[in-house]
Amino acid sequence: MTAIAFHPSASLEVWIGALLTLMVFSFLWRDNPFYKLAEHLFVGVSAAYWMVVGFWSTFWPNVVLKLWPAAIGVTDPGAVPPPADPMVLVPVGLGLLMLCGAAPRLAWLGKWPTAFILGTTAGYTVVRTLRSDFLYQVRATIGDGLIVFAADGAVDPWLTLARLLVLIGTVCGLIYFTFTRTGRGGQGVFARVGLMFLMITFGATFGYAVMGRISLLIGRFNFLLGDWLGMI
Amino acid sequence: MKFDWRVPAARLADLDRRWIYLVLAVSLIATMLTGLRFPDKASFLVQPVYDHVERLPAGAVILCSIDYSPSSAPEVEPMAVAITRHALLTGHRVVYVSLWPEGNSLIERLAGMIARDFPDADEGRDWAALGFKSGGEMLVNSLRRDFKAMYPQDRTGAATSGLPALAGIEGLADFGLVAAFSAGVPGLREWILFGGDVTGVPVAGACTGTGTPQFLAYFPQQIVGLIGGMKGAAEYEAALAEGHPEYRQPTMRGTDNMGPQAVAHSVIILFIVLGNLGMLAARRLGNGGAR
Repeated sequence: MTAIAFHPSASLEVWIGALLTLMVFSFLWRDNPFYKLAEHLFVGVSAAYWMVVGFWSTFWPNVVLKLWPAAIGVTDPGAVPPPADPMVLVPVGLGLLMLCGAAPRLAWLGKWPTAFILGTTAGYTVVRTLRSDFLYQVRATIGDGLIVFAADGAVDPWLTLARLLVLIGTVCGLIYFTFTRTGRGGQGVFARVGLMFLMITFGATFGYAVMGRISLLIGRFNFLLGDWLGMI
Repeated sequence: MKFDWRVPAARLADLDRRWIYLVLAVSLIATMLTGLRFPDKASFLVQPVYDHVERLPAGAVILCSIDYSPSSAPEVEPMAVAITRHALLTGHRVVYVSLWPEGNSLIERLAGMIARDFPDADEGRDWAALGFKSGGEMLVNSLRRDFKAMYPQDRTGAATSGLPALAGIEGLADFGLVAAFSAGVPGLREWILFGGDVTGVPVAGACTGTGTPQFLAYFPQQIVGLIGGMKGAAEYEAALAEGHPEYRQPTMRGTDNMGPQAVAHSVIILFIVLGNLGMLAARRLGNGGAR
């Protein structure tokens, strides 16, 4: 059996990361000042990071450089200035109106950009969602028929069974959510089958969620045991 | 003196959760130190993605959208690494974009991996990093016709109009595959709804375990395949190892992490069984253990 190596990192960044990880883990014992410190640091650093990234990746190229192309010399001396685009003043104006929401007397002005965003987003999304999440899903459920044939022309029993289950699950699930009738008799039986499908779905979803959370825990342990302590 | 079963039954039914955390941590650390691994095989969800990359003509361009953050990187990054390796190994070009602000730093990590594992791969010729751009679904929507208008420069400042890595690309439909590495919104769903379903470009999903169930419904009609969670990453690595035995993957983080993953799942299942047994026993023995 090989001995376990132990080579702690010499990097200050790794030590800070490791200590912050342990501070967050300490919440599993109970709430404490170390956890609070890590939590507040996380929120503050995240907000600052997003603001800086937002400024340089969105505001600078989309607003500053389009109104004042020569400003490219600030970050990239010698680069060819991009063409100016005064039309950017329209979204800038809408953005400024949104800030009016902070002042109670001018808050009504903030509703215009909100309405614009809601309207355009709804316009784009409704059509796409209807097609992708409704029509295509209906087609995927019943569009190609129930019986699946293999390449040699024979019936593929497993894929046929899978399609049948999808159809039964979909129909029974919809019946379960039909609240206009009391769910007695035949409807009740189908609703119960639908409920079983829903429970199986929730179980699978929970299983995937557990796998996801454990993966993140393993990621942190990899960092602690590998990058920090040099044991793996 | 007769043993009173009500005491252990009540303890099991009302076990302090911190014991569970402790046992889970110890078992995970022990498994990671011993390097326990299990063989894996690509499932019917993962294999089509691998096959699609294999079938693409040499020189095809694969668009990788890095839509995750460092917090979800342990799950999703192994998938991005595996697909990048597969693409470069089979002579395809790779282009990285991101719908998430954190994407830039994660693309840097992938660039570092390419520099280490594929020293002959040239940035600009074999791969390109275009980075983060805001807009989410609106950005995907606007990539349909003029891709380079939305990304005039790559991360080095080179004009995309002259990049060999993007030669032949006008709009989204010209890509051989869009691989969306997704940990939330915007992500895979936006690439399906506003990319694949509109332009017909094949979309492959690679997402966190938590996000996987909601995307299963899109397979196989709207996505080529789905690499879900750490297990999906391990399966893709297994497919790559089987399909290209001449190439030894320098790291197989998905496969390495599935050993601890399996042990952790076993511990959780054990505690669920023990907790239920304790509750049933406490109820039967009549000390009110059930809540």
